[in-house]
Amino acid sequence: MFQPASLKGASPSPIDERLRKKFFIFYILVIVLSLLPVVLFLLFYILLFWKPEFFWLFFLLLPVSLILSIYVIQISALIISALFLSIIKLIHPPKEGIFRRNLKDKDYVYWNLRNTIKKWPLWITATNPFPWLKNRFSLRFYGVKIGKKVMCDNCWISSEFVDIANNVIIGMNSSLISFGIEQDKFIIKRITVEDNVLIGAKCVLLPGTKIHRGAKLAAHSYTSYDSILEEGKVYLGHPAKLRKKS
Amino acid sequence: MGEINEKEEFDYISTSGVFKTPFTLIILLQFIVGTGIIILVNIWYWNNLYFIFTGSYIFPGGILNDIWSKVLLILLLPLNIYANIFLFAFSIILFSTLIFRILNKISPPSEGIFMRGSKEWNYAHKRFWTAYFPIWLARALPLPWSDIFIYRFFGVRIGKNVVMYEGYVDPLLVEIGDYTMTSLNICIFSHLIYQDHIIIHKVKIGEACVVGPQTVLSPGTVMQDRAVLGANSYTSIGQELEGDLIHVGIPVKLKLPIQSVEDSRDKAETIKGENNADLKKNEEEN
Repeated sequence: MFQPASLKGASPSPIDERLRKKFFIFYILVIVLSLLPVVLFLLFYILLFWKPEFFWLFFLLLPVSLILSIYVIQISALIISALFLSIIKLIHPPKEGIFRRNLKDKDYVYWNLRNTIKKWPLWITATNPFPWLKNRFSLRFYGVKIGKKVMCDNCWISSEFVDIANNVIIGMNSSLISFGIEQDKFIIKRITVEDNVLIGAKCVLLPGTKIHRGAKLAAHSYTSYDSILEEGKVYLGHPAKLRKKS
Repeated sequence: MGEINEKEEFDYISTSGVFKTPFTLIILLQFIVGTGIIILVNIWYWNNLYFIFTGSYIFPGGILNDIWSKVLLILLLPLNIYANIFLFAFSIILFSTLIFRILNKISPPSEGIFMRGSKEWNYAHKRFWTAYFPIWLARALPLPWSDIFIYRFFGVRIGKNVVMYEGYVDPLLVEIGDYTMTSLNICIFSHLIYQDHIIIHKVKIGEACVVGPQTVLSPGTVMQDRAVLGANSYTSIGQELEGDLIHVGIPVKLKLPIQSVEDSRDKAETIKGENNADLKKNEEEN
């Protein structure tokens, strides 16, 4: 839906300040490579139609070509970043666990590298003015399992270690974060959301949360690490607790 | 209201957003209409400029030949890009308001709880998707108050001197009174999708209210005149907030009186005075 421009809902991908300069080349490389197909596309468009006989067709098809070029940028960015990611996954596969927030810890460094590569494609999908192939599409591209009839285009969902089943509604501005930074520790844990779950507006799910079938999380509440919400019950509060019937 | 209160489970949950339907393709139509208008106006404009500078034209028709219009056209040249942006945005906005009004005529918005597949469910979805693109555009424009105009076009009653920054507001069945302030990152929902149900209720915000940052107003909320909703709180469905009070809580439970600056200063001084008196007493006793 029409969220404000400042809250685009690009999935969170923070990068360590110490590694930002090191990985800057990858970031620029992804941007440049993903813009090449659009240049080629527009060049072909102009070469095809910029002739005195075809001027009317050129202007008639211009809006369509603009829409297409937006999607060409987005999809080429996704494909190129997925190529980069598959190479990085061969070198060091991503895994869950508790790591140290140290440059010597390989898992932490590679997590940052994956984020730098995902940053531009995720941003470009979030800024897309059209509601098709948005955040959900790009997240599925990166291997997040999202089921059918899921409403999740206006919230922040981490691009790794998240499973969402069918028929889930996630409220506006909620965030599903599968990574946590606790002082010098760095935690990655899988978030699973099962069928028919309802998550209210402005909720926060911390890493390791498991929501079973049909559970409901009230608006403005957050879950703590590794919390489990039982089947078909309503939870609310800071952190979320079972609602007592009054 | 009675129906909702019986179903306790609705109380605490407020999500928003609608499912994608085939009607979503209306956005493509809006985009094509907007770009079409821009292209036509630009062709006319550049044809005129070409005529002014060279004396010949690319195609006949639409040429302005008097001096004043020539001067105007040349003066408009630096404004060209800005004019294009605004032309694009406002042509799409006007076009989609037309669609929105037609939809409202066909099936006027009504309040209540409706099932998936009912007429209300379908039309609510249609209305939201027609409003999607123009509001996205207005939020992308450099004018900070352009979205207020759009909400007014869509029939949301927004009074004068209203502060409305970046927040989510539903495009129908919302009423905001004069001099009201809404803060950053708020959500005002007049609809709620709960599994197979859609709940539609009017949200009413009175005069000179303050809606704090990070708050959620659920459908059916009524804020009376001069009520204040504190930061980070949310209202449950159909809740009424009394005027002249501060309301805080998740969902709203606490009521606090509003004090003027002088009042609170006086109170602070009296407390300080009491403390000092206590201290003196203690010293004397010791």
